[in-house]
Amino acid sequence: MDRNSPIGRLCKSGCGDPDRDGCFRMNMNPTAYAHPEALVETDWLEQHLSDKDLRIVESNEDVLLYDTGHISGAVHIDWRADLQDAVVRDYITPDKFAELCRRNGITPNTTCVFYGDKANWWACYALWAFRLFGHEKVKILNGGRDKWKAEGRALTREATKPAPTSYPEPKKRFDKEIRAFADEALAQSKAGKPLIDVRSPGEFKGDVTHMPEYPQEGVLRGGHIPGAKSMPWKTATNDDSTFKAAADLGKIYFDQCGVKPDTETVVYCRIGERSSHTWFVLTYLLGLDNVRNYDGSWTEWGNKVGAPIERGA
Amino acid sequence: MYPDKLNKIIDLFESLPEDERRETLVSYSDNAKKQEPRDGETFDLTDVRKDEECADTVGVFLKVDSDGSSHIRMTLGPEVQTLTRAMTAISCKGLDGCTPREILDLPSDFVTRIVGSELVRIRSQTIYYVLTRIKGICKVYLDRQRMAGVA
Repeated sequence: MDRNSPIGRLCKSGCGDPDRDGCFRMNMNPTAYAHPEALVETDWLEQHLSDKDLRIVESNEDVLLYDTGHISGAVHIDWRADLQDAVVRDYITPDKFAELCRRNGITPNTTCVFYGDKANWWACYALWAFRLFGHEKVKILNGGRDKWKAEGRALTREATKPAPTSYPEPKKRFDKEIRAFADEALAQSKAGKPLIDVRSPGEFKGDVTHMPEYPQEGVLRGGHIPGAKSMPWKTATNDDSTFKAAADLGKIYFDQCGVKPDTETVVYCRIGERSSHTWFVLTYLLGLDNVRNYDGSWTEWGNKVGAPIERGA
Repeated sequence: MYPDKLNKIIDLFESLPEDERRETLVSYSDNAKKQEPRDGETFDLTDVRKDEECADTVGVFLKVDSDGSSHIRMTLGPEVQTLTRAMTAISCKGLDGCTPREILDLPSDFVTRIVGSELVRIRSQTIYYVLTRIKGICKVYLDRQRMAGVA
């Protein structure tokens, strides 16, 4: 735990509560989420749709899903068009992030509740990107769009037009704190520290170079980073897209993946979206403050000349 | 280059600003269900399957009239994405009345002219999947016709 962490007053999860020390509270047999405040339930959200200082953010893989109907008052943030640089494979700059927040009615004090399709893949990705710019007040709608819709809750096509706000340009992007690059993933591998590959078993083994039901995204080699443990992201979710209980998550990541509170963990997938989901689980639900998302992931590693690769289970 | 019905749809989309283009795509997506087979309809070929590269089962149904003009119906599973639903409705309408050969020879570059570059990304390549499946069933139909002719 770095009490002087530039990303938050206390820890990378950014709960902001000086009495709640996620790292020190975290134990290997959790009975409760380390940061339960990072989740909201559908019932709660339905009753707080008009809350001041709360902005609902939808982020999906299906690029037109928001347009077919969204939670009242929700804005749409697109993982590629809004969060990624249009030319270089990287995220937007701090000034563009500030502009994104201003036009979506978000201030530094706004609590952003993220939700989306695919059991919140892209919601977690957007949340992670917001943390990259130091936005601290972030939450996930447990169960995401799937659960909201399955419960028959209202969706609207009425356009959300938030009044523009003021959002100062973040002084920096917190790449070092929550993001891993290829050389850091390699160092993690060589040091034998926890590396979690959250792709499907077939991708991990190298049998396929795309995830099931998706097109090929241009990867030349299949397999995984040496030493990585396979734990598909979906292992952390229930059938209704909600997150599993803390005790179950503890067994999955501490017991089966060998994650430890005092050792850095790196997670990856193909482009960093599925691993954002796992990053959220480890950081907010299990309270680890030293997890980084290698967003270059397999589309970088599997194409990188000379990168070591293991195949098989 | 393109069939008249498809040309009109392309012209419409190219005339729209981005927000209206999205609205129109969603509107087409809403109407994808209208392209399903109707009671009493019969088909020359049926191809219903779940492929690895698509999120759910897609069914293609082909009827060819005695004058050679064809009609396509399609069914889509619930997990199929919005853009793919829109392209289904557009393709069924735009290609209605074409011969299987005309469909097979159709260039696929009209897809981006309809969808726009903003919405086309690697993960939404399944918009081409619908056209691939339609062309696939037309190819099978033509192959069978040719075999029957040889026999």
